[in-house]
Amino acid sequence: MKRADVDVFEKLTVQLDGLYQELSILAKKTPNDAINGFKLSFINDILAQCNSLFGEKYRPFAGFETFSAEELPSNSDATFILSQYIECAEKFRADHIQNEGIQGWSWQIDDKGPRISTSRPKKLSPKD
Amino acid sequence: MALVRPRLTDYYGISQAQAELDFAIPFLDEDVPLYVDPFLLWKSPSQQDQALHTSLVNSFNRQNWLLQKGREDEAAQNLVLASECDEVGLGLSRTRKGKRIGAGTAQDILALFRHIPEYGRFGFTHFEEIQLYVDGISKDRISDFTCNFLKSFLIDFTIDQCQALGIPVSTVRLASLYDYRSYSFQHNLEVTLPVYPERGTPIIFVPKRWLRHVPWLNFDDYFASYCPKDEVVHRQGSDERVSVLAYNRDNYGVVEAYVQAKERVAEDCKTDPLFKQIPVLSARRKLNEIRGLSTGIGDSADKKYEKAASELLASLLYPHLDFADVQSRTAGGTTIRDLVFYNNRSVDFLQEILDDYRSRQLVMELKNVRSIEREHINQLNRYLTNEFGAFGVLVTRHPLPRAMFRNTIELWAGQRRCIIALTDADLELMVGVYESKQRSPIEVLKRSYIEFRRACPS
Repeated sequence: MKRADVDVFEKLTVQLDGLYQELSILAKKTPNDAINGFKLSFINDILAQCNSLFGEKYRPFAGFETFSAEELPSNSDATFILSQYIECAEKFRADHIQNEGIQGWSWQIDDKGPRISTSRPKKLSPKD
Repeated sequence: MALVRPRLTDYYGISQAQAELDFAIPFLDEDVPLYVDPFLLWKSPSQQDQALHTSLVNSFNRQNWLLQKGREDEAAQNLVLASECDEVGLGLSRTRKGKRIGAGTAQDILALFRHIPEYGRFGFTHFEEIQLYVDGISKDRISDFTCNFLKSFLIDFTIDQCQALGIPVSTVRLASLYDYRSYSFQHNLEVTLPVYPERGTPIIFVPKRWLRHVPWLNFDDYFASYCPKDEVVHRQGSDERVSVLAYNRDNYGVVEAYVQAKERVAEDCKTDPLFKQIPVLSARRKLNEIRGLSTGIGDSADKKYEKAASELLASLLYPHLDFADVQSRTAGGTTIRDLVFYNNRSVDFLQEILDDYRSRQLVMELKNVRSIEREHINQLNRYLTNEFGAFGVLVTRHPLPRAMFRNTIELWAGQRRCIIALTDADLELMVGVYESKQRSPIEVLKRSYIEFRRACPS
């Protein structure tokens, strides 16, 4: 994994979380309402970047790439997909980090430079 | 078969929707059911409209000047000439040929200048007040007087619009045209205007910001809210229209108070739209009504469904599709109701519908049945000819059964005919986006079309 990919990953996960939270609020109010074209274009942009970074292995669904604006995806459709991407992002992270004992967890970086700390995988409890 | 309720723009293949244009698109076979209200010009913030109102009132008051100069016949003749304006195509006429006022009515109008000193000395500020004095003068006459006195401006406006849109114009002869410089009617003038395709008679466009169903100052409003009826009965013996008019002639102050009251609330005077969408709340109510209806004809469910679905779709699809009419036809002993929309090509896929299926108008057949059958599809398919092209929509309760969907795909494969369905679920989504404004309801129709095309063999 390259140092630049970590930057991209961290930005994308923050954006995925933000989108998920925003759309969850809308989905609770009107789950079947269609998402407008403005929001959808940015959601698709984030998803496309995730697809590019994750590759086939970590993409949530082989048959899904981005939303089609013409199919009028609903708020609940979007939260469903975003939650899957958030889960897969965590799987991606868990597979690309290492435990360095007392120094804690850090990314496995191919190129040289200072280590990049990260948190432990979410599936591990604090005792692990 | 020709276009249903054809409009001038559709005839010439111009794609703009009514909402995008500044003028009321004239129908070829009937009038636009609205009238020019001079009060809208008076209250307009635009200096141009205010100046036009001033010239309009000046032109009308000029008849008083002629009267004072002893040229009564000329004044009466001017009023007669100004009393009908067929070229604008406003009103309720289907024949589009109106009648002018008679010499007697013209004399009654002129008599106002003589008998009511305020008008004789200062003239009218709102000449539509004549409705309150003269029998036989109502909203259509006020509109016609306005259009005739402003006809020169309206001709320029029409030519501008025609050039902008590419509507063909011809050289035609106008029987009369008011000349503001000489305050008189010129006769048999040659002008350049669009014409009605079959009759060759000229058309003049009217800015839609000037149109209302009834003028702001009108007799019914005056009678209902301002007329001192007890006083009228006391003086005239009854409160019938003619008695009220006679009373008004002797009591200018009452009319003056009415006009002043209406001027005070001029902000409430708004243009009437050519098409009014139902409110969001009503759309949800109509949808719930549809969802609560059983399929079939029991308890007149089919009629109720047709009524609610018509109102709902006409509103939901506006302004992308202008609603043309509800058509009824009989096939196999049953009455079928269709909604017909003008294909404005305001959305990309509508252009495709025109290019691929030659649909200048879109037809939607309403079917309140449990399940669409082969015969239903055939009925719509047989109807898809000429102006409707090869594209039709079945508005029905449930998705097409798999076999019927395959049937529509085969129709496309064999005859390049496209029949898609809009179901209760689609209507619900349309109402949802109509409420939330997140997307446009027309996109639901587009989605159905794209899903259909994806299922078609490539």
